[in-house]
Amino acid sequence: MSALRALTTVSLKLNFRNRMALLYGYLFPLIFLVAFWAVYRNDPVPLALHVGQFLTITILGSACFGLPTTIVAERERGVWRRYALMPVGHWVFVAAILLARAALLLTAALLQLALAFGLGLPVPTHPASLFMAFATASAAFLAFGMVIAMLVDTVPAVQALGQCIFLPMLMIGGVAVRLESLPNWAQHLSAFFPGRYAVEALQRAATGNGDAGFNFLALSLIAAAGAIAATAMFRWDKAIRPRRGWLLLAVGIWLAVGILAEWRGRVMVSQAEDRRDVGTATDYVAAKPAPSTTPTTSWRDVTDTEIDGVAFDRLPPDQGIVSPVSRSDETPDPALQPGLDRIRDTLPGWAPGNVADPVQRARNLLAIAAVPDILQMEQFERFVPRLVFARLQTVIPPRELPKILYWIALHPDDGDDNAVHQLAALGLPDISGSPKPVRGRIMIYAFKLLGRLSGHRSAN
Amino acid sequence: MKMIAVRDLRHRYGGVEAVNGISFEVAAGEVFGLLGPNGAGKTTTLESILGLIAPDQGEIAVAGIDIRADMRAAAAKTGAVLQATGLQDKITPREALNLFAAFYPAPLGTEDLLSRFGLVEKADARFETLSGGQKQRLALALAFIGDPLVLLMDEPTAGLDPQMRREVQDHILAMKDNGRAILLATHDMEEAARLCDRVAVIARGRIVATGTPHQLMAEHGGTLDDVILRLAPP
Repeated sequence: MSALRALTTVSLKLNFRNRMALLYGYLFPLIFLVAFWAVYRNDPVPLALHVGQFLTITILGSACFGLPTTIVAERERGVWRRYALMPVGHWVFVAAILLARAALLLTAALLQLALAFGLGLPVPTHPASLFMAFATASAAFLAFGMVIAMLVDTVPAVQALGQCIFLPMLMIGGVAVRLESLPNWAQHLSAFFPGRYAVEALQRAATGNGDAGFNFLALSLIAAAGAIAATAMFRWDKAIRPRRGWLLLAVGIWLAVGILAEWRGRVMVSQAEDRRDVGTATDYVAAKPAPSTTPTTSWRDVTDTEIDGVAFDRLPPDQGIVSPVSRSDETPDPALQPGLDRIRDTLPGWAPGNVADPVQRARNLLAIAAVPDILQMEQFERFVPRLVFARLQTVIPPRELPKILYWIALHPDDGDDNAVHQLAALGLPDISGSPKPVRGRIMIYAFKLLGRLSGHRSAN
Repeated sequence: MKMIAVRDLRHRYGGVEAVNGISFEVAAGEVFGLLGPNGAGKTTTLESILGLIAPDQGEIAVAGIDIRADMRAAAAKTGAVLQATGLQDKITPREALNLFAAFYPAPLGTEDLLSRFGLVEKADARFETLSGGQKQRLALALAFIGDPLVLLMDEPTAGLDPQMRREVQDHILAMKDNGRAILLATHDMEEAARLCDRVAVIARGRIVATGTPHQLMAEHGGTLDDVILRLAPP
């Protein structure tokens, strides 16, 4: 045991003397965390929904780069050749380097979580499960990191192979880009990458019900196969040729787990939707009793006093997550322009936007802005409302539009939802499920345009 | 007692017969030299005794222990200075000696070895800052840390200046006087003449001559260099 302790201690000391190791081991995970935090607009709730992702990235970085780089660099300079002469079991050297790496990984994750708590991350719902998920995911990836270390001869080769595994896992493996945002083919492909099982296991422990049975099974199988393959491929010296056949076991288990996931029908994830409740119309009326004490029976009876009673300052900000609206001086990314042009060009002939009832017509047009917001169509959702506002001002007389918008906002449950299912003509996706979230966003957008028309909100 | 016994050692790399039936013994208190040109089979022989290579055929015993039966017990009684071994850049001599001491049942003291090999002043310097001579002295200290009965050395003075070479040779002679068996592979005939009680000349994987340096020079004429050039041309 003294050999194991001495080796582990020296491994840790040497790691802390290596600036690059510290940079990759501790700073990069924090940078990824801050990136997630910044990308999701400083909102603590979205950060909580990305715990699985940022912890998995930390584990992946350590396994794909940190561990194999250390081993291969030491083997290249003959350190392991010297170790091979020692009168202790070979497992001691492997165990020591894994123990040291596990300690580094755990401290990096704790540091990451500490910063996340500082940024407003809520306490995980199942801390013990989170630790178990972290340990199992670490075992799976570190075992594969050992396989990489045994496979390649040089540090540049570690970097190249590591990137070949790290980047696809990030982009189409459900790690950095959420599964919900991936097209169907990528979701199927991601089932064959271990990253998604780590993300799911960690995320369920952080914000879910803690139940991640299949994910634990997948990660355990991947860990066992990786450990067996790495043991069989072990070599002290790069002059010894690696037994590459064992790679089939390490990678074959990814295939087996993916097939199992497909067979159990747990691969596809529904599209990400932001269906958060936006409250009721009365939440946005400054003098709450006003609408109820002096009820109007028709949109034509809406008065300026009622409109002035709306608390426009309580509406979500235009640059926020819910019901965003681009600034007037903002230019959309050129990639978005064709989609926006299609909506603008198709709108005049879009039947729901020309129905006889002006209230239903306005409601239908507002749905065009509401659905991309629900579906979180990133930048796109921010520019669509301006097209809708322009169209509304074209098809509804200026004296009627404020009254109609007020009426729609105060009566979000009126009218029909047929237009929501006719968005394909505009190049927008369909949406299923309860119509309530869409009606909520229609209400908010109605208030927002009303605020602009009445001068209560900036038109910018 | 024969501290190293090698019998009919054979090893091939692909189609090349690197070692082809080598046999020799080294006694306690003896320095035995393996001489020959590059590729003759010296390093393969050393690495087979150390267990780094599994030979195709042959028997090897170290301090009476069959290495195939108990490599770990044999390793506990062996120290080695090999080519192509190194240490981490950021480790210090003191840390390295303490680390390697933890691998042996009855190691020598770290401070004693630092003093013996003139490394006290550099005890806490990082390996990457040591000179070539200091690195080689540390390699020797690491070979001695387990208080081995048997020492295997592959070109231990290669790349050292004359003064440092002399110092390392003195350490080897001190170990010999201390009753250790030493197997030395070298290109340096002057070193072989100074250190070795007996030498074996290896050519193309076979021992082509064995004896004391003086016997070989008397038998074949000229210096030890001449003997090697004649018996084992490159």
